[in-house]
Amino acid sequence: MSILTFCAASSEALPDAPLEVLAAARHLSEELGGRDVHALLLGSGVEEHAARLIEQGADGVFVVDDPQLENLQAELVLAAVEEAVEQLSPAVIIFPHNDLSGGHVAPRLAGRLKTGIVTDCTSIQVDGDTIRWLRPVYGGKAMAYMVAEGPLQIGTMRALAYEPLEPDVSRDGTVETLDVDLGAASVDVPVVDQIVEEEEFAGRSIDRADIIVSGGRGMGDEEGFESIKRLAEVMDAAIGGSRPAADSGWVPHSHLVGQTGKIVAPQLYIAIGISGAPQHMSGAGSSKTIVAINKDEDAPIFKAAHIGVVDEWENVLPALIEELQEK
Amino acid sequence: MHTIVCMKQVIDPEVPPHLFEIDAEEMKQKRGTHPLVISAYDEVAIEVGLQLKEKTDGKVTVITIGGEDTVESLHQALAMGVDQAIRVTDPAFDDADAFGKARILAAALRKVEDFDVVLCGRQAGDVELGLVGPFLAEELDLPCATIIANLEPHDDKVRMRRPVETGYEILEASPPFLGTVTNDESNVPRYASVRGMLAARRAEIPVWSADDLGIEPDHVGPATSQIEMTELFVPETDVEIELIQGETGAEKAKNLVDYLKEESLI
Repeated sequence: MSILTFCAASSEALPDAPLEVLAAARHLSEELGGRDVHALLLGSGVEEHAARLIEQGADGVFVVDDPQLENLQAELVLAAVEEAVEQLSPAVIIFPHNDLSGGHVAPRLAGRLKTGIVTDCTSIQVDGDTIRWLRPVYGGKAMAYMVAEGPLQIGTMRALAYEPLEPDVSRDGTVETLDVDLGAASVDVPVVDQIVEEEEFAGRSIDRADIIVSGGRGMGDEEGFESIKRLAEVMDAAIGGSRPAADSGWVPHSHLVGQTGKIVAPQLYIAIGISGAPQHMSGAGSSKTIVAINKDEDAPIFKAAHIGVVDEWENVLPALIEELQEK
Repeated sequence: MHTIVCMKQVIDPEVPPHLFEIDAEEMKQKRGTHPLVISAYDEVAIEVGLQLKEKTDGKVTVITIGGEDTVESLHQALAMGVDQAIRVTDPAFDDADAFGKARILAAALRKVEDFDVVLCGRQAGDVELGLVGPFLAEELDLPCATIIANLEPHDDKVRMRRPVETGYEILEASPPFLGTVTNDESNVPRYASVRGMLAARRAEIPVWSADDLGIEPDHVGPATSQIEMTELFVPETDVEIELIQGETGAEKAKNLVDYLKEESLI
């Protein structure tokens, strides 16, 4: 009984997430005393990625390469995965936890197959024969081990939970095309239009950024928030915001860090004018290093931050931007 | 259009970490004196439902699974402008997993019968698995859109706005369908008015049991559970903070940059 990993890709690029999931699967395989790890590679014009998946942990790659999967429409991806699972009968399938797989395909697959699933996991453990999926709960204030029961166990892994394995070109693996016919699959909820958001935020996603500069209510107004953008620019960082900043329209909601936004884990997170409410720390708490700049020395953010500056941001930011520009 | 919003009530997630306590035995957060609130994404779903109601001259029904202590949240939903609240409760429903909850909600929706749109928050504010919505779509065999932020009537269909990395996708579906809802600038939940709150307290809230819904108790309880928590703990979070000193803001800024460089953080 094998472990299957989910890898949806475009023809140009293989994202990091499926490589991280492969690393998670290899870890699980070792814990279970050695199981085959297979990757299910889906998309249009994606077959060339198979070699890379083998180099980074797959014993075999099953490919569903279909022009209909060009845009990775969720219902078609689900239909393809369902068919693949039927043909391959894996014991476990691991998905990246993102909007496509963690938010749609994996839960619907579990619902359809009436099989257990644990979403948004940060680690996998084995106890005897039981797979224990570790995940944050209550906005990250607690952690829970969960167990999934049923004919197939499904897990979705949070971004950056496992580091991709070093590529090893000497690894052997098989590549096989799966016979999956999407001709009969119906699309009930098609995408009919795409709207590209404001240029200044485009291409600067916070999801996997190394550095995020985030502003909150303390920035006062939209003009105050401009200082966050300037600091982000000189640091080559992505721009984030707390819920008040997003609800005020200073940042789009795709840049909202928190329990009702994105959960991020950058190397460096700089929180300015953010009090550090639980809602926000749920999203920012996993950052490697948190710097807080806040005028209120009793603000909860200083309980979570590694480096603190107690002062009005107006006093610190202009000099900080200047210092970093000179760098 | 008639929208049904499935709502869950949770202990206020804004309880600060030092007041957050768990019952490791029961594997739950301790209630203490903390307030109960509508789970954040469900409140957003109510807002999205209300906006669709206004655009289509429709109505919104909210359904929750839970005991007497959920009534206050139902009142709040009514005060926001929801037309009808329904409470589904039975001892057999205790500790139902996401599959059980989806079966219970599916039975309640079948009893409501005439609906166009079903909305669920993308995930609840406690365990945050995000499963009930997609499971419910499978249970009722409804078309399913996930992580949508806004609904617009479009002829006899509905167009949905879905935030993606580059901006938005517009999706289209024919009712009936189910959507899981996320927040964006278009759906910040409205406040419940005082007058609405007074009217809500007088509203009739039907209570449906397993029997009313034709649910076999052993089809939804722990006996059928496929997703189980086996251990709950609060991780150690002792963070040592390095406070950057300086006479002026500018000096602190310089010292901060020096420190970040020293620690190879930039």
